[in-house]
Amino acid sequence: MTAKKKELNFSEAFKELEEITSWFDSEEQLDLDAGLKKFERGLELAEDLKKKLAEVENKVEEIKEKFSQ
Amino acid sequence: MALQALSVGEFLELVNHTLKQIPSNEVIIEGEVSDYRVAQGKWVSFDLKDEEAEAVLKCFMTTWQLKAPIEDGMRVQLKGYPKIYERFGTFKMNVTEVSAVGEGALRQSYELLKKKLQSEGLFDQTRKRALPRFPERIGLVTSRDAAAYGDFLQILNNRWGGVRVMHAHVHVQGREAVADIVGAFRYFNDLPESERPDALVLTRGGGGLEDLHAFNDEAVARAVYASQIPVVCAVGHERDESLADFVADVRASTPSNAAERIVPSRQDVLYEIGTLTDHMESRLHDTLQEHGFLVERMTNVIGFILERQKERLARVQDGILTRVEGWLPRLREHLEGSERFLRQIDPKRVLARGYSLVLSGGSVVRDATVLEVGGEITVQFAAGSADARVSRIHGKGQQKLV
Repeated sequence: MTAKKKELNFSEAFKELEEITSWFDSEEQLDLDAGLKKFERGLELAEDLKKKLAEVENKVEEIKEKFSQ
Repeated sequence: MALQALSVGEFLELVNHTLKQIPSNEVIIEGEVSDYRVAQGKWVSFDLKDEEAEAVLKCFMTTWQLKAPIEDGMRVQLKGYPKIYERFGTFKMNVTEVSAVGEGALRQSYELLKKKLQSEGLFDQTRKRALPRFPERIGLVTSRDAAAYGDFLQILNNRWGGVRVMHAHVHVQGREAVADIVGAFRYFNDLPESERPDALVLTRGGGGLEDLHAFNDEAVARAVYASQIPVVCAVGHERDESLADFVADVRASTPSNAAERIVPSRQDVLYEIGTLTDHMESRLHDTLQEHGFLVERMTNVIGFILERQKERLARVQDGILTRVEGWLPRLREHLEGSERFLRQIDPKRVLARGYSLVLSGGSVVRDATVLEVGGEITVQFAAGSADARVSRIHGKGQQKLV
């Protein structure tokens, strides 16, 4: 697995997890090898997502700009 | 002292000059609109009447100066400068600003603008955009002094994390409100795409029509409409409505509700992640079990096939045996016949009847002429043999057998 240690993009990761899950529903006969690989990836994503959910808070930044005129 | 006569034009100019002494910007005139007309889609004229004094002020303005629609019977306040039009000798008020006053008039004005924007398609459901499911940047347009600001952020923090809230501090009421809000929308939409928020939230607490005027302003409604970024609008309490609400992609009932609409809750998403992984796991488990069943079934099938092959072999064997049994006696008969025949032609039986066999050099002698006198021959009897010498050979030709 390529170790992309950049910031996890939550919506991309969640989408990938959803796609993997729907793959499991997409065929009558699952390829067991592919299934195991996807399952592993899915668990990894779920772990990352949960971690991200636990750790982050919201940041508020004020915009300096004056808007009138 | 003889007075100098002025021309009409000069006099009117003097009057107009005098009228300019009135500090128009500081005078607000209030009255009721009547005889409201628009000519050529550009020129607005109406009478501003004073019910008590039976006074009438002829007013004139352009449609683009008219920020909020007005109609007959509406109470309005206006600003402008008075002028006499030289060509017609008429006195008119050049109106620069007009706004409805009083809850009733505001309501009327609000309904008129609502109808207008609706007919233009600003409220169409078909143009409502979906919000991103997990926004990363949110543009928050509200006053930092408003309760709405705190409410929104509190619910946002309760539900979700990791969001960058870009707060544009604007007045949400008062004279600067409209320009502030329109400016904030312009600011966010002018950002390069990579820095733009995923959604905008325009919010404030509840209030009367007068308090909400900025959210019912045509310029704000159009700014919401024109925004390339999806907009969530939340004004006040459940039952408050504003034109910005109707134009926005998502209408939230309160500032807290706006936060609920714009981000999911951690619990829901955690639950969903759990459901997704559980589902994967159970499908994988099913597949493993299916494979197990398949192996079992294959073993059964192979066993069955083997059994059938064995049966077939036995049947073939049986068939061969019965067929062999059929032709074996015939073969035996045939063999016995041949044996009998062979026995009949056996030379030994001829010898037994008293004939002898003469051999020379191992070959049977059929013709006396091949013999030489003095040569050795063997005479074979039915029992035993004797060697002899040829002493005489008798003529050629076949011997006549007696």
